[in-house]
Amino acid sequence: MDDAEKRKMEEDKTLKKRVQQIIQKLHYISNRVLLLFICMILFMVFQMIYQLGLLLSGRGEVFLLLILIAGTILFAGVFWTKIFLPYQQSERMLKRFLDGYSMSDYGELGLPILTPNTADEIQKFDELFRSPQMFDLNKRQAQYLALQNQINPHFLYNTLESIRGEALIAGLDSVADMTEALATFFRYTISKVENLVSVEEELENCKTYFRIQQYRFGSRLQLHFDYREEEWEEIKRCRIPKLTLQPILENSIIHGTELKIGTGNLRIQFERTEERLIIRISDDGVGMDESTLWELNKKLRKDNTAASYQQPGEKGGIALVNVNNRIHLIFGDEYGMHVFSIQGEGTDVEIVLPGVTSDREIKNRGVLQ
Amino acid sequence: MRKEVFRMERVTYRENDILMLEDFSLNIWEGEIMGLIPVNSYGLNSFIDLLAGNPPLEDGYIYYREEITNSWKSAKRGNNRITIIRDRTSLVEGMTVADNIFVLRPGFRKSIIQPAVLESQLEPFLKEIGIRLSARAYVDKLTSFERIVVELLKGIVAGHKLILLSEMSTLISGDELRKLYGIIRHYAAQGYSFIYIGSHFEDILQLCDRAALMSNGHIEKVLQPREMETENLRSLFREYDKMVRGYLEHKKEKKNTGKYICQVYSEIEEMAEPLQFRVRQGECLVIQSLDNHIYRAMLQLLLDEDTDYYWSMLLDGKDAKIQGNRKIAVIQEQCTKTMIFPEMNYIDNLCFNLDKRIRNVWITSRIRRSVRQEYGTILGKEVFAAPVEELTEKQKYQMIYTRILLQKPEVVFCIQPFKGADLSHRMYIWELLEQLLEKGIAVVILAVNLADTLSLADRLICIDKDKPQKEYDQREFTSIPILAPWLHLYRELPRDGGRN
Repeated sequence: MDDAEKRKMEEDKTLKKRVQQIIQKLHYISNRVLLLFICMILFMVFQMIYQLGLLLSGRGEVFLLLILIAGTILFAGVFWTKIFLPYQQSERMLKRFLDGYSMSDYGELGLPILTPNTADEIQKFDELFRSPQMFDLNKRQAQYLALQNQINPHFLYNTLESIRGEALIAGLDSVADMTEALATFFRYTISKVENLVSVEEELENCKTYFRIQQYRFGSRLQLHFDYREEEWEEIKRCRIPKLTLQPILENSIIHGTELKIGTGNLRIQFERTEERLIIRISDDGVGMDESTLWELNKKLRKDNTAASYQQPGEKGGIALVNVNNRIHLIFGDEYGMHVFSIQGEGTDVEIVLPGVTSDREIKNRGVLQ
Repeated sequence: MRKEVFRMERVTYRENDILMLEDFSLNIWEGEIMGLIPVNSYGLNSFIDLLAGNPPLEDGYIYYREEITNSWKSAKRGNNRITIIRDRTSLVEGMTVADNIFVLRPGFRKSIIQPAVLESQLEPFLKEIGIRLSARAYVDKLTSFERIVVELLKGIVAGHKLILLSEMSTLISGDELRKLYGIIRHYAAQGYSFIYIGSHFEDILQLCDRAALMSNGHIEKVLQPREMETENLRSLFREYDKMVRGYLEHKKEKKNTGKYICQVYSEIEEMAEPLQFRVRQGECLVIQSLDNHIYRAMLQLLLDEDTDYYWSMLLDGKDAKIQGNRKIAVIQEQCTKTMIFPEMNYIDNLCFNLDKRIRNVWITSRIRRSVRQEYGTILGKEVFAAPVEELTEKQKYQMIYTRILLQKPEVVFCIQPFKGADLSHRMYIWELLEQLLEKGIAVVILAVNLADTLSLADRLICIDKDKPQKEYDQREFTSIPILAPWLHLYRELPRDGGRN
């Protein structure tokens, strides 16, 4: 973990502590305000009864009573919708954050914050969460996962080209082909600088990666693609974060089909709705038990902060969490990933993304800069 | 481009601070029939509640026709335009079919209601699905099947694009189920989407395009159309399958030579011939009623003392009555709701039927104490201290079946024992019924749909309106003309088995 990451973790912790204090304040104030509200309503109801009594004894004014009734209803309505409910929602929202959920859409809700100081703190956290640095951190981790080491790319490509040349001269076509696939894969992973790519490009990278893996597994591993022909033109132009599919495909091979006896089938399925692009990466491998699945989905749901990475002693699912975080950062937390699995019956990873074909349509473009 | 009718995206939902759904994800396409198989029923009612209304979520998003209706941020007010059909009716009793379908529809603005107009409006709908039903009939008089059809039509007329049907196979007979499947497919082809909750993969396989497996408040897996094969689905129920297979193989080796303990003769006017059957000690006889009127008549015979139908029973060669006879026990439908006395404690509930066997069971507490001591190790010590209503579903089943075992009857009549139970509870009920059979008690199961009963049955009697009863010995189960659950086991096992 480098200094920047450590600093971010420290910052996260401090902010979490501060949020805890804000919750306590909100809770305290919303309870007191509710008490005040009840007192005022009771007072107004008492006044109404008093006026009604006067009216029945012939001394009261109907007009006054009507004003009192209307005033009470209006006061109750305004207070409930404009003061109490927003405060309650703020409290719920901040509790969610402490439970580990994302805070990414807090600004959109326009909820009340107690003081300008508190508002600044929340704003600061929101900015930190959506910052390009945060995105870089996630992206870099994706690259680490693909490479495991920092490698000088040009040196790597040149070496691979040399190996390919030698292999061709020696008549070793399979070695040449494998080397070429490896060079193509690294070029896409390291040198392609864009954060968003088209489905077509990402799929090409998956095919390249699979070509490399096939040298290891041979016909024991099969890759299938599923999509509706009439939707494909639209699907292949959709923009998705770079390195979304390959890490999941790799996971499916390592944790799913590699451990299975017999042929392993991998399937990438694309579906397009009016609003969404749904990608499902399935394997018919060993699957996972219910508790492992629960843990994994919990990580995808809650581990959204930089601090959640590389915790000592933590293992498994990092590639998936990482892809999921990048999706949340770019598109918002209504999109993301979910895992379905049954032990012995395989695993499906479903990725839901907005169906956008242009970078301009993206919600949080700031993180891509 | 396909249209998505419904989507639940990583929904986490609490009820009274108890986590009911966690990371629940499911989507349904336009015109799709999605099967939902609950491995256990945890969270199932919450899922239905979320379909119907929009209670606040802890996390996640719900979309209906690609528009957000509920999320952790905010929820749409009011109910969703989704129809939910389950065992209890949502129709207003005392009103006619047409009133329920048209007049109670949101947006109905007419002040003067003309029954003839409503009738003519309903006619094309009924014609389209080939159902004969009077628009002026009162909903209280409808059969279960007709009630389901009316609720479905009500949803269609109201423009609800998603319709949920829960556990239909426990409410209607096999023939009616097939008709219902036809109606569902007809509307699915028109773009309506369905969620069909069913516990048996045979039902799901016959009807659904995809199937979701639900367990502990989340979806474990969604089987895609290419995966909707018997083998795939059967492997999901491996444990249950193994249990039943083991039982059948064991049974094959053991021939039932017990004497005929109970003989029944009854005249039910809807049947072409009198109903007659006899059952051996330790034998499981399943009576499947293919007609709802006959089923109701049978219920009356078993539960009501004053019935209009003629009924005679010989128990061990002597005339016998069901009511008040401790040699005969009746396990009612959904027994965890109908056979528990909440005002009594656990031990009293357990010893409830002991009075004929041990006369002074209610006078001295010594007997109840010794029952508690003897059964404490089997039932668990903690159950005796808990109020009976707070017991888990499994503990309730255990209590009721242990009560029957303590009673030591000669014959037990079970009314739809698996109704409303999820997979894990079905397995447990199955084990409890097997225990009764092992003790040499004759078990007569009354069912509308075969469901799990076939896995225990030694014989099957099918009764239908205006038709003679049809009897199948276990060796003849393979010739049953429907795709019933567990039939595959009899087809796979060598055909030399059977206890009789």
